[in-house]
Amino acid sequence: MAADDLMSSQKSHRMRKSGPTMRKKSEIDKKKRGVADNKQPNPRAFSVRSVVKAKRLKIRAVEKEQRRIHLPTADRTYGEPPPFVVVVQGPPGVGKSLVIKSLVKHFTHQNVPEVRGPITIVQGKKKRIQFVECPNDINGMIDCAKVADLAILLIDGSYGFEMETFEFLNIMQVHGFPKVMGVLTHLDKFKDVKKLRKTKQRLKHRFWTEIYNGAKLFYLSGLIHGKYSQREVLNLSRFISVIKFHPLSWRTSHPYVLADRLEDVTPPEKVQMDKKCDRNITLYGYLRGCNLKKGMKVHIAGVGDYSLAGVTALPDPCPLPSAAKKKGLRDREKLFYAPMSGIGDLLYDKDAVYININDHLVQYSKTDEENGEPANKGRGKDVGEDLVKSLQNTKYSVDEKLDKTFINLFGKKTSASSERKLEADAQSSPEGSDAESSEESQSDDDVDDHEMDVDSNDGKIKEKTELRGGRLRRKAIFKDEVDDSDEDGDDDDEEAEDAESDGNEDEDGEDESVSDSQDSDEDDVEESEDKVLGNISKWKEPLKEKGRKKNPNLMQIVYGASASSATALINENNEISDDEDFFKPKGEHSKNLGGGLDAGHVNSEDCSKFVNYGNLKNWKEKEVCEDIRDRFTTGDWSKAALRNKNSVAGDEGEDDELYGDFEDLETGEKHNDHENMESGTNEDVEAAERRLKKLALRAKFDAQSDKSELEDEDNDNGDGINPRNSEAKEPGFVDKLKEELEIRKQMNLLELNDLDEDTRIEIEGFRTGTYLRLEIHNVPYEMVDFFDPCHPVLIGGIGFGEDSAGYMQARLKKHRWHKKVLKTRDPIIVSIGWRRYQTIPVYAIEDRNGRHRMLKYTPEHMHCLAMFWGPLVPPNTGFVAFQNLSSNQTGFRITATSVVLEYNHQTHIAKKIKLVGHPCKIKKNTAFIKDMFTSDLEIARFEGSSVRTVSGIRGQVKKAGKNMLDNNAQEGIARCTFEDQIKMSDIVFLRAWTPVEVPQFYNPLTTALQPRDKTWTGMKTFRELRSEHNIPIPVNKDSLYKPIERKTKKFNPLVIPKKLQAELPFASKPKNKPARKRPDLDARRAVVMEPEERKAHAVVQHYKLISKVKTNKKKAKEQEKRKAYEAEKAKKEVVSKKRNREERRERYRTEDKQKKKMRRGQD
Amino acid sequence: MGKTTYKRLKGSQSFRQRLLLATLSSTPIIIDEIRADDMITGLLRHEMSLLRLFESVSDDCVVEVNETGTRLKYKPGIIMGGKNLVHSCALTRSMGYYLEPLLVLGLFGKKPLSIRLKGVTDDPKDLSVDTVRNATLHILKRFGVPSEGLDLKIEARGVAPEGGGEVLLTVPNVQSLTAVQWVEEGMVKKIRGWTFSARVSSDFEHSMRFAARGVFNNLLPDVHIFNDHKSGPHAGKSPGYGISLVAETTAGCYISADTAVSCGRADETGEIDVERQERKPAEDTGVEIASWLLQEIEKGGVVDSTHQGLLFILCALCQQDVSKVRVGTLSPYGVETLRNLKEFLGVTFSFRPDPSTGTVILTCVGSGLINLSRKLS
Repeated sequence: MAADDLMSSQKSHRMRKSGPTMRKKSEIDKKKRGVADNKQPNPRAFSVRSVVKAKRLKIRAVEKEQRRIHLPTADRTYGEPPPFVVVVQGPPGVGKSLVIKSLVKHFTHQNVPEVRGPITIVQGKKKRIQFVECPNDINGMIDCAKVADLAILLIDGSYGFEMETFEFLNIMQVHGFPKVMGVLTHLDKFKDVKKLRKTKQRLKHRFWTEIYNGAKLFYLSGLIHGKYSQREVLNLSRFISVIKFHPLSWRTSHPYVLADRLEDVTPPEKVQMDKKCDRNITLYGYLRGCNLKKGMKVHIAGVGDYSLAGVTALPDPCPLPSAAKKKGLRDREKLFYAPMSGIGDLLYDKDAVYININDHLVQYSKTDEENGEPANKGRGKDVGEDLVKSLQNTKYSVDEKLDKTFINLFGKKTSASSERKLEADAQSSPEGSDAESSEESQSDDDVDDHEMDVDSNDGKIKEKTELRGGRLRRKAIFKDEVDDSDEDGDDDDEEAEDAESDGNEDEDGEDESVSDSQDSDEDDVEESEDKVLGNISKWKEPLKEKGRKKNPNLMQIVYGASASSATALINENNEISDDEDFFKPKGEHSKNLGGGLDAGHVNSEDCSKFVNYGNLKNWKEKEVCEDIRDRFTTGDWSKAALRNKNSVAGDEGEDDELYGDFEDLETGEKHNDHENMESGTNEDVEAAERRLKKLALRAKFDAQSDKSELEDEDNDNGDGINPRNSEAKEPGFVDKLKEELEIRKQMNLLELNDLDEDTRIEIEGFRTGTYLRLEIHNVPYEMVDFFDPCHPVLIGGIGFGEDSAGYMQARLKKHRWHKKVLKTRDPIIVSIGWRRYQTIPVYAIEDRNGRHRMLKYTPEHMHCLAMFWGPLVPPNTGFVAFQNLSSNQTGFRITATSVVLEYNHQTHIAKKIKLVGHPCKIKKNTAFIKDMFTSDLEIARFEGSSVRTVSGIRGQVKKAGKNMLDNNAQEGIARCTFEDQIKMSDIVFLRAWTPVEVPQFYNPLTTALQPRDKTWTGMKTFRELRSEHNIPIPVNKDSLYKPIERKTKKFNPLVIPKKLQAELPFASKPKNKPARKRPDLDARRAVVMEPEERKAHAVVQHYKLISKVKTNKKKAKEQEKRKAYEAEKAKKEVVSKKRNREERRERYRTEDKQKKKMRRGQD
Repeated sequence: MGKTTYKRLKGSQSFRQRLLLATLSSTPIIIDEIRADDMITGLLRHEMSLLRLFESVSDDCVVEVNETGTRLKYKPGIIMGGKNLVHSCALTRSMGYYLEPLLVLGLFGKKPLSIRLKGVTDDPKDLSVDTVRNATLHILKRFGVPSEGLDLKIEARGVAPEGGGEVLLTVPNVQSLTAVQWVEEGMVKKIRGWTFSARVSSDFEHSMRFAARGVFNNLLPDVHIFNDHKSGPHAGKSPGYGISLVAETTAGCYISADTAVSCGRADETGEIDVERQERKPAEDTGVEIASWLLQEIEKGGVVDSTHQGLLFILCALCQQDVSKVRVGTLSPYGVETLRNLKEFLGVTFSFRPDPSTGTVILTCVGSGLINLSRKLS
């Protein structure tokens, strides 16, 4: 105490706030924190020198800014997001499963013996993750790339990159690029630290070139006791948990489910009768992408297109923890769901809960009985245990037993995937409507208790049950409550009624009225109310409905009637006018039906107007007009405004009016809102608007803060752009767009939340993030037989028009790593949208004039067009092409990447064609060409087209030359005119374009219908066929290259006509001299000099000799002189060099001295 | 993929919508028992003409009709749009019959649509071209259709039975429609009208105008009715006159009413028009339409009963956002539309009646249809 007092009496340390000390300290501090000094050493040096340059810089900066901005996309996912899919991919033997195992262990403290199928875990308070191990074959890789939100690429550091990694990257890039993280493993194989560092560096940079600079690459240094080190797994998990996922356009517009469970629900009798009969299966998984409507068609990757026979929302098997304010997750909230891995002991279905009891446990209870020595003595005997044991030693068949016990222990459904599974069919209540289940528990109380006890026997299972906080109750199913596959979504409310009002035809409608009155929100309050009312409310419900039936629901009138009672309505009409009908012609019948809402007659007239002038009021009278006066600007504005408000506010009020006996707690709250609004007339519009805007702004702010955080992180990783700055500079347009989208979203939420659950699902479809059970009928049996949990089962929704086939035009580029060019009409396998199929493309290129010219082969480093036939996908969808899917191929399997430009039902590809003909008769400039056409009709088609000879004489096709060859009246001889007379030896060409047909070939890959290790074989290429059948490549002899032999040209002598020769001037005249045998006289004669001449000649020769000797001497002398000079020069140079060096040395010494002096002086 | 599965339908009811929605959602359909038991069996002339119109606008669509015309097999192609198209409509129905589906169809084409329709421009059964021009196009704009390129030019009038009218419709392309929140009706601020007369005296027009204006006297001063007297080649082949009234509200809603009277209706259409033979005076027609307009206003809603179907279709074609519209009493056509929408697009509406005003508020989530045929530039 005393010390404390003393401390308080002392003055606290005060930091300097100004002065040189402070400056110095802050400098040091900055250096410590690594903050770069913003101050430039010479700010004036970087000031604006050139206006142009500055402008350019500014433009560049703005452009960079703009490039960063993306068009905001509307986020239409409401509510809890589905777990993010983390795909772990890598070449075989790199440690994929181990990474998943250690991550799962880290997050949930559970050991996974085997990674099969998706594993869902709760990672944080608001985040779930689904781990998927990517199988090693390319089909699995494609499917994984289509669902991955984050891909963890495992790379064997000791080996380096393998093709699989790059193939996977390319597949992902084409199908929308999810987030990617690299992980290097097997680093403990390096003994040399330096080499390890070098390898890391090298691999990192290679990784960066493929993705982007600064992409995250993780290093798992090695195994300790067969596991990765905890610290590294923790780091990895942290990076996974902070990653933000961005929406990808294909996925946000298509619903998809990554099934984490598959059950075969074919009636067992049927399977027994025929093992290869088509199966009915159910698939379970989280709905992702966008909302799924009931009637939607789906594509199961590797199987085919199916329509959904039933969709049911199930309670989330791996729910997020309650939103209580606390830090982190509690242990019991660290949930974990992996039905295919055989971990989850409880499986929930629409109408049943499967309890999976391990083999040894089953065994255990049996031995227990034999020994008579229960191991769990301490606990005493359990009722549930008894039940289980009694079940185990049965003497009678199950059916017989069922008759006795009246508990339906085995439902109609059997599971195919789990062989040893004790199934206790019990009805779960998916929506968690406690009231219902409490009612049921009342009816067979003791039985229910048993079930509970069975659960609580096993420790693990007990934990699971507790998670649901007592919300989950199970009920034994009765024989008459066989599930109806038709009533998929209409849930349990209906089922409850099923039992009570059996065979009631109007049931659907009633349900709807009930559901309308109820509110969708699962408020706790509401639930509690339900609890209070309990059974009473339940059994009274039908009565209430009957009472309420008088005011029918509009929805029922519009939709309900159309489905069932179209005929009923007609019958009614018939009854009324039965007699008249008899005498009327049939056509009159439709006229009677003209009006009224019940225009259910199949042949009623198609007319949008519904005019009934008969009951017009007399609007000329003032009193009549008064009714609608307020609808005009001349009327009372406030009243008119009220009219609009009333309806907005009175939505709930009106509900109350119609269904007054129902008290909705939700509405009460709403009323408060609207009471405020009704106080003013104009104000409340604004108020509503303001509220919306506020909501939007808040959401936007949240989003932004998230984003800026993210960006901060990015920057920390070395990006270098200041986020604050860019945020501030973001143009108003994008902001506005974002705000609009946000307002839109809030409005949608407001509207949808007003509806009750059933109507909402009807209108909106199942929301993303719900756990769905999809029932699909008539699937080939192979799918179940060859089902492999290690391969992802992808179920993708098909949009409008995407199930019909047509021609697609795509911009395609051969992958630069694929060694060969692609050949037109060689089948390729494409992965496009959700599908994978084989098709036959025709490659083309667009000419200047817009013509699509066929190419025989794809260009080497260029894009080209590809036309192919297949199920349509919207433009801008990317796809990737393969030629070979086999896993044992060494090269790079991706042959091309491409994007769909448009689709068409026609193709406009053309190829060049040359028609060749020969003249058969020439008359001046006209020639008759044969062999070019086969008939006169064909010529008629080509009239006016241009032709050309090899020598380049142009011409035109005129007409069919009839009877020109008198003796043989041949068909197909065309009369052509040329610009000059052609020769009989000429060849005439007609150059034209002929359309190329794209084969209508489409062969879906059914890889899920065969053993997974077998390579799927489709149509073979020509090359493959040739090599298989040993057929040589056909060779056209004319196309072969032969050595060119050129004869030496022999020119004939020039002959000048005599007449011309005579006229030429003499100079130009050819001087023809006959060749002589002997040289002529001039050449032959000898020259003899005169004596004087000889003397002169001798003298000249003497002089020449003398001068020559003189010059020689002079030269020698000069050379000598030069040599001497050179020697002298070299000597001098040596000396001067020496001197220079001395001088320099001296200078430097002095300079150095001076400098030292100066420095000393400074110090 | 080789085998196409057809959606099977029955009867000739809502023929236009079925074709339209089948084309938009690219669902092949088979319609059976088209007027199988009627006096005139099979497809009527205007229906055949509509089929032909669909064929000309789209690419590679397959239409098969059996001999009696009672069974139709329709496999939609890709909507192409395009310029300089000409279609001569069957004279049994007026242009409104063709325009209603065509307007929506054109929006989702590959190229902007520009088509010249020839035939009957106005008749009492369908929307008159004036109404389409002055009310319907405004509804489209609400859904984010750009106003440039959206036009209807009336080049010549033509009344039943001979027709001879000509209109030029241009519709731009859209990527997708935007959802609307359109519940506020506003107050009627002005009423505009268009009368026309072709091959008859313009006196008819004048008397209609005066009569119609008389009705509005008590309510609104801002009433203006334009007249459009045609003669010569622009007047078509048959005599007749007609009126179209549109009330514009402060909230930008357009409520319309229209009719047309043909003075020279021949007897060839048979007994159906026997009671129509004695014509009402033109004044009565004016009063009738004006009263009908007021009745429509009284019913409430952001569109009149005739446009309900179109409104619902547009709502259903929107992006996957919530659309909310208010209409008066649901018309039979509107109800039929709702059923068709559910069948083809899977769009269900929720209804919230508003008893204080007698209107219904409909909410739906759009089907998210995007214009797939547009080329990627």
